[in-house]
Amino acid sequence: MDSNHPRTDPRAIVIGIGDYHVGTEPMTSIGLGSCIGLILHDTRLGIGGMAHIMLPESGGKRDRPGKYADTAVEILLKDLLKKGCTPKTLQAKLVGGAQMFANFSGNLSIGLRNVEAIKELLKKSGISIKGEDIGGSKGRTVYYCPAEGFKVRIRRADGNCLDL
Amino acid sequence: MTALTPAQLDALSELGNIGASHAATSLSQMLMGQIEMTVPSVEIVDLADIYKHVTDEVSALAIFEMQGEIEKGGYVIFLMPLHSAIRMTNTMLGMTDEDREINEMDESALNEIGNIMVSAFLDATAELLGIVMLPSPPVLVVDMGHAAIQQLLVEVACDVNEVVFFHTKLVCDQYAINGDLLMLPEINTLSQILEMMDKLLNAHC
Repeated sequence: MDSNHPRTDPRAIVIGIGDYHVGTEPMTSIGLGSCIGLILHDTRLGIGGMAHIMLPESGGKRDRPGKYADTAVEILLKDLLKKGCTPKTLQAKLVGGAQMFANFSGNLSIGLRNVEAIKELLKKSGISIKGEDIGGSKGRTVYYCPAEGFKVRIRRADGNCLDL
Repeated sequence: MTALTPAQLDALSELGNIGASHAATSLSQMLMGQIEMTVPSVEIVDLADIYKHVTDEVSALAIFEMQGEIEKGGYVIFLMPLHSAIRMTNTMLGMTDEDREINEMDESALNEIGNIMVSAFLDATAELLGIVMLPSPPVLVVDMGHAAIQQLLVEVACDVNEVVFFHTKLVCDQYAINGDLLMLPEINTLSQILEMMDKLLNAHC
């Protein structure tokens, strides 16, 4: 296994479903399916944040901000601005949003709805999207270390790795 | 949601134990080998902690929706790491090549094995409850376990942040095969099951 393998960094904070984290530490979200790993990075300060977003809309629920696109973008921004970032110096990358299999309920393309919601929100906040690896039908694990610049490592279910 | 009493968790665990034992027996018959089963655990798991139970290792998952005389809701899943899945089809079909890609024959074998096991699981639990429960036709996914489960959670945990996660491990040392039997009931299904169990327990007290 190559040394860039996301799983080989034991220091990385694992961002579980519906969770988020802001800081300088390495972060990872494992096994993204229809969920989105949203990463915001401040190029100037070398800090950033990651959220593991599951659904496009909170419908007013505030109990788990990282879970929904609207509340996740809001809380990441709020925490990053508190640390001295500005929307101008922030950039975004999106990973995930796959449709892995036909759902039993016929609830199609939740992944793409997540992507659309997030893009819309980023646009409104004036944050540019620097890269994305979205859609398709395979799961992804994502790794990001703010101190190393805005490089996002992705391992796909088929074993292929790529840097975004 | 978190208001499951220790007694209710015990009862669920026992229910799962009966189901899983039947599933393990049917797997053992199909493999003609000994299967060890761990004590099933029933836990309330936060969504953010699902990764501690299901990794991103690439696995084959046969996924079934629970149907029958209960409100539709929830899934039973038979998950095997890819190498185990291939060894299992090899064992059953008398093949030896382990270093190969998973193919259509493996997938259809896994669907069938999953179907037999999950039917046994649901039959046994339903019989105890005095109802009929059936698995839907299977959906087979070969992907990161966590990613596949996550897509099911979108259905089960839209409005909640915790799920009841039933888990037992099945191991066959003889052929170095292992797998996980998982159940993710929807909240309505779960309360229905708990109600039925309460009645059963009271009737016997």
